[in-house]
Amino acid sequence: MNELVLTLGWLGIYAPMALGAAASAIGCSIAGMASIGAMTETDGGYGRFVGVSAFPSTMVIYGIVIMFTLNRDVTPENAGGLFGIGILSGIALMYCGIWQGRACAAAINATKEKPEIFGLSLAPAAIIEGFGVFAFVFALVISAGIS
Amino acid sequence: MPDPDAYIALISSLPGSERLFVAKQPPLSRLRLDRRLSALKPEDARVLKVLERALNWSDYDMDVTDAQAIERCKEALRDIPQPTLRKVFIERMDLRTAIAALRLRKQGGNPPTGAYGTGRWSRHIPANWSDPTFKLDGPMPWIKEAKQLLDGEDPLGLERLLLSVSQKQLKRHAARHYFDFEAVAIYVLTWNIFDRWAQSNAQDAAKRFEHLAQQAMAGVAEIGFDGASA
Repeated sequence: MNELVLTLGWLGIYAPMALGAAASAIGCSIAGMASIGAMTETDGGYGRFVGVSAFPSTMVIYGIVIMFTLNRDVTPENAGGLFGIGILSGIALMYCGIWQGRACAAAINATKEKPEIFGLSLAPAAIIEGFGVFAFVFALVISAGIS
Repeated sequence: MPDPDAYIALISSLPGSERLFVAKQPPLSRLRLDRRLSALKPEDARVLKVLERALNWSDYDMDVTDAQAIERCKEALRDIPQPTLRKVFIERMDLRTAIAALRLRKQGGNPPTGAYGTGRWSRHIPANWSDPTFKLDGPMPWIKEAKQLLDGEDPLGLERLLLSVSQKQLKRHAARHYFDFEAVAIYVLTWNIFDRWAQSNAQDAAKRFEHLAQQAMAGVAEIGFDGASA
């Protein structure tokens, strides 16, 4: 039984990093495909498209920081806490990354027609980033209570 | 399960469908559109072909009968699995059925008993044959204007009204689809409407040119002008 609990603890430590990496990969690929499509239709502003497609890459950074914060000796006493915080923050980061990628793709698709809305079209992606930051910050706050 | 992100690059590589109707020059030729559509998966390309074949009048023979056209529509509906595209198709068929009934009645016909249209209103219409709008004002608010244009012998105005109604229907469905196959199919159907719209404008321009030319040449000589037979 103890082995299973310890395994869950280790799973919790690595989950934010793994799920954050998956989120960034999927989100960047979604936004990246949109920027490639937009490049074939427009005559300029390519750098902006590529820059926007990199937005979801922040999720893996948050995941790495959470992983380092959770990283400690896993005991039967702290394994449950590590598992809960790690898995849930990882899932939150993953959803944020994927949907941020979709929001970035929509922004790229819209700004290829109307470059003047570039800043405003990024607002949904920025709001999603805010939710990712919530998940990140409060994972750090809560992890301080684990022995 | 349908992938909502299946055609992100393809959709992003197409000019916005709104731009199709305001541009002086077509922002995308059929040749270029077909080149972009080569990115479709084979099964999606097949559904799009079925949809276009059933909706484009140019894909019908001149001597096609009502029964043959209806059969083709029923066959197409069996081959379209996407619920949104089925709705788009059914709405367009409803529109065509109502217009076919208006034309039949204008020609002095009795309520049709055989094949004249398809869809949920095909029985409702003969039952309300004497009503000016077949009691379809609610589900089809444009039918009154269509009847007026038909009675006023304004085929171009009617054509534009129907294209505008069809475009609004597509726009409504497009709001729920961004980067999936449905979004691509709706874009292509909108492009087809733009194409028809552009053609009707060209015909209008040719008519006006003939009228102005005849005015200018009045009394000079008896000259016939071809090319605006519409």
